[in-house]
Amino acid sequence: MGKEKKLTEEIRFIKKSDSEYPAILNCYERMPKGLYLKGRFPDPDRKTVAMIGARGCSNYGRTQALHFSKMLAEAGVQIISGMAYGVDSYALKGALEAGGKAFAVLGCGVDICYPKENYYLYEEILKKGGGIISEYETGSPPLSWHFPIRNRIISALADLVLVVEARKKSGSLITADYALEQGKSVFAVPGRVGDACSTGCNALIAQGAGIAWSPEVVLDELYAGSYVCKDENEEAVNWRIMKLSPEERKVYQCLQATEQSVDGICNVCGMESRLVAVCLTSLCMEGLAVCRQPGYYCRMEEWE
Amino acid sequence: MFCSVVSTVIYGVEAIPISVEADVSDGFPSFTIVGYVGAQVKEAEERVRTALRNIGIRLPPKRITINLSPGNLRKEGTRFDLPIAAAILAATGVIPGSRLRGLMLLGELHLDGKVEAVPGVLPSLLVAKEEGCYGCLVPSLNVYESGMVSDLSVWGLDSLKDLVAFAKDGVIPESGAERDEQGEVSENKVDFSQIRGQEAVKRVAVIAAAGFHNLMLSGPPGSGKSMTARRMPGILPPLTEEESLELSGIYSIAGQLPDHKGMIKMRPFRAPHHSISPSALCGGGRIPHPGEITLAHRGVLFLDEFPEMPASTLEMLRQPLEDRQITISRMDYSFSFPAEFLLVTAMNPCPCGYYPDKSRCKCTDYAIAKYRMKLSGPILDRMDLICDVPEVQYEELKTGGEDPLSTAVMQEKVMRAAEIQRERYRQEGWLFNSELKPERLERYCPLTEEAERLLERAFRSLHLSARGYHRILKLARTIADLDGADVIQTIHVGEAISYRSTERNG
Repeated sequence: MGKEKKLTEEIRFIKKSDSEYPAILNCYERMPKGLYLKGRFPDPDRKTVAMIGARGCSNYGRTQALHFSKMLAEAGVQIISGMAYGVDSYALKGALEAGGKAFAVLGCGVDICYPKENYYLYEEILKKGGGIISEYETGSPPLSWHFPIRNRIISALADLVLVVEARKKSGSLITADYALEQGKSVFAVPGRVGDACSTGCNALIAQGAGIAWSPEVVLDELYAGSYVCKDENEEAVNWRIMKLSPEERKVYQCLQATEQSVDGICNVCGMESRLVAVCLTSLCMEGLAVCRQPGYYCRMEEWE
Repeated sequence: MFCSVVSTVIYGVEAIPISVEADVSDGFPSFTIVGYVGAQVKEAEERVRTALRNIGIRLPPKRITINLSPGNLRKEGTRFDLPIAAAILAATGVIPGSRLRGLMLLGELHLDGKVEAVPGVLPSLLVAKEEGCYGCLVPSLNVYESGMVSDLSVWGLDSLKDLVAFAKDGVIPESGAERDEQGEVSENKVDFSQIRGQEAVKRVAVIAAAGFHNLMLSGPPGSGKSMTARRMPGILPPLTEEESLELSGIYSIAGQLPDHKGMIKMRPFRAPHHSISPSALCGGGRIPHPGEITLAHRGVLFLDEFPEMPASTLEMLRQPLEDRQITISRMDYSFSFPAEFLLVTAMNPCPCGYYPDKSRCKCTDYAIAKYRMKLSGPILDRMDLICDVPEVQYEELKTGGEDPLSTAVMQEKVMRAAEIQRERYRQEGWLFNSELKPERLERYCPLTEEAERLLERAFRSLHLSARGYHRILKLARTIADLDGADVIQTIHVGEAISYRSTERNG
């Protein structure tokens, strides 16, 4: 009951003629006549980045989404996304964890939390002074054709669109197209050649998108080089690595951002599988490695 | 006239002796069976009466009363046809009653007098021996079950006529002389050498078999999970004589002894489909029948597509996995079935089956989490070894011939560790490390200081439950036994931990 009440309360409808209606939307065609809103719109005086990507992302996509959104949010950037599974939710999560502001543009009524597993995000966004936005009436169900259309609002509200992971035929590419039409900068996080999850991103880069090989690149673009970032994490990791035994360090160096099987790690570092298993266990306990699937390990990054 | 013969009733996995009494007296002709009997026993009246007439014996028009004693024990089944017929024959003076003394009788009758096989003959024979009988008359189709029982004469009957002949002339019916001394020597045709590569999986299989630890195999479709499971019984130590007898008894009661093959000599492998009902899995019925977990006793219970099993069925496994037996209570009796099985389960890592290969797996994190949520924490906690079965590489497939790591090689390793365990637990009455009682852990699982520190660190950082901690220690004990080490070292503990939990976020 409490949850339902929370969902339906404090919904406002902001007409195009209202002063609160984001001025930036008036620059583009085909924008809605009004928007349903819970919380508030992104602050036009601050930079906003739309982070989009695959729902079924890989561990690489997950960690990069978290990393970029955290770093951007720490630099005062507002993060906007569609609150879908995968990259969308990790982007929002990272921003909220870093104490930044996050905004979600939904493909259903603002009183519906879709997907419902993201209710904690929905709540956090509002609590932290962000906003839930939708062009659809309250009570509208999340219909499949709503989502590509609402993407134009996501890109319009942002100063820059960052694609974290996208497959060859991905909805994220639709958003990127909108962004280009609207004259926004589009950045993509590069992936490895052959990674199905990154094909879309690499294709965007080939077409001329910016290469987001670190959050600083994005910040540079947003603040035109005037932003100086601080970097303390590097040292913390180094110190933890220093503590490791020689075998553990060797295994750690073989780990990557994507899952690798124990056999694979053995082949790369040339150690006996039992010893590798012991080292991995130790690394997991140190918080330097993570095992999400039995037999597969990847690096645990500082920002997770 | 009165006559009484000995028979048995099956309760759970044991046979209980009963006496079948017949009294033929003057009075209005009637046929009554009393003694807390079920409908199947009541119907014996028609079968017995007709069978007797069809072999040429007419029942006198008298008052016939049959009592199955003790009268407070529920009796079901068709096994009492033969003893009832024998008791009547003796009570009416057709055969001399003295001939039936010291004999136990079991068997169902056809209307033409043919004797039909019944379940549970083997445990009945053992009871007959305990009760001091010198011999047993059983259906000839069941005679093979006597292969392992010594010091007891067992005759097989083809027809009620054989009984009459035997009682009158002391002539042993001919077919009854046969005894299958051979037992079943079934060739195990599956071998680990048929699985190429997969060294890590084979290593885990050896550990699981050596200490009887529960094993969970996870991997994409077609990677060899079922193949591995099917080869597990082959690397377990061979059954001892007593174990074989115990198992054969259970299979005899379940009516599942391989036809005319005598004893169970191989460790059982049971692989019920995931749609199995709770009572088929654990045992059930008014007088409960052994379920799959009991039929897998001392062998392997393989549950494929583990997360697809209904939660209610899955949770039923929790108690037998801890207690190694299952107790089913009915209104007037509690039945205990043994269930010391090695649980092997298989699952895909995600709904599509290919996670973490993201080029093929398109499942969202949520879909994967939801799939895994089907397995409750308590069930996962009982899985000692969680092992990934990777896809076989083409190069491995192409290198022809058999893999050098064969069942024989693996079984030898297992046997060596099993021997160490048997020696160690000689006083304790159990065989394997997985059965170690928590209060005995300190005594039997000495650790080096460094190993102790690793375990302590793991306990804190992995948020282990007390059971989880104990299970890791027992697993480390088995790994040390495979190495022939008395004191458990860091590498053993480390390996044990690496097999344990799925989610390890430091």
